[in-house]
Amino acid sequence: MTTHPAQLFSITTGSSEPIYRQLVEQVRRLVAAGQMAPGDGLPSVREVAQVLALNPMTVSKAYGLLEMEGLLVRQRGMGMRVAERAGTRHNTHERAELLRPILERAALEARQLELDPDTVLSLFTHILKEQA
Amino acid sequence: MNTPIVQMSSVSKHFGSASVLDRLDWQVLPGQVIGLLGRNGAGKSTLLECLLGLRETDVGTVRIYGEDVRHLSDATRARIGYVPQKCDLFEWMTPRQMLDYFKALYPRWNAAKVDALLARWGFDPSMQDKAIGKLSGGEQQRLSIIRALGPDPDLLILDEPVSALDPVGRRDFLRELIDSVIENGTTVVFSTHILSDLERVALEIAFLKNGRIALQGQLDELLEGARRVDASGGTAERVRVAPTSLEELFIEVTQ
Repeated sequence: MTTHPAQLFSITTGSSEPIYRQLVEQVRRLVAAGQMAPGDGLPSVREVAQVLALNPMTVSKAYGLLEMEGLLVRQRGMGMRVAERAGTRHNTHERAELLRPILERAALEARQLELDPDTVLSLFTHILKEQA
Repeated sequence: MNTPIVQMSSVSKHFGSASVLDRLDWQVLPGQVIGLLGRNGAGKSTLLECLLGLRETDVGTVRIYGEDVRHLSDATRARIGYVPQKCDLFEWMTPRQMLDYFKALYPRWNAAKVDALLARWGFDPSMQDKAIGKLSGGEQQRLSIIRALGPDPDLLILDEPVSALDPVGRRDFLRELIDSVIENGTTVVFSTHILSDLERVALEIAFLKNGRIALQGQLDELLEGARRVDASGGTAERVRVAPTSLEELFIEVTQ
């Protein structure tokens, strides 16, 4: 069981996705992919606020939402941890669903640029292979 | 708990024939971190100066911590920190002389914090002996921020506080602001055109347009498309529009 550093997160400004939501999505993805294991500790609100230069309330809001949906548990005096059963319930389909918000945004922009699906898909395929 | 710290009621201000503030009503609640937005010339500086009592209003009242801003007690005055858009520092003094001068004016002065900031923000001993007028614009702005943070203010008013700072300087400033909010629950009002900074620290944003606050709300909710608009009957109505970036929102609201 490890405690992850705040550098784990990265946010972008200027997006239509509020910062707290970016943090929520990142934790969901990291847990779904197994990069954050059940029992792992999250960096403290204060640490994330300092490292990313964010209002601590924004970080609290993200953690609070993740706690409500059961992905994180608050441990007294020890901060937030990944819930024990969090990692086990995601199959490929569920993990893929986590990509939906970001892909919907990309689809919107693709339509605005009047790109046909084949062009967009081949670009995405190329990017996927490039990173791997 | 939710008694407003700042209460502006029906404030108007003209310069010659130009109306800058037009029966503006505004409140700031304890612990809020509000970003004030508006186009160039919208009157943000005038609003902040009227808020602080540095400019007389033509009509209307401004109260800070329940006191008329024209007759603030010394105790209330000492709770307010202000970083003006144009540095109004004493150009002939050295940074050290200026800070010692302000230290003597305030009942509460966090000398340890001031020294730490001076060291962190590059004011080495040789620079502390230079006349302020000889410092660069960015150095003067950093000094102005240090001066404002010195008395550990409960209410911090910042007018374009980072306009002369480079990205590193801006990030240092944001971290300090975040620390101050964490440690003291400071209430912060700041105007800026740098939307990325605003997004990081402001939970609430307010748009000044045509002399009034045209739109105010939680930044997250506004980005996610929640709007409260004045319906024809004058009642507030909640509507949802498409999610938007802060830049798009700025253009939409202020044009």
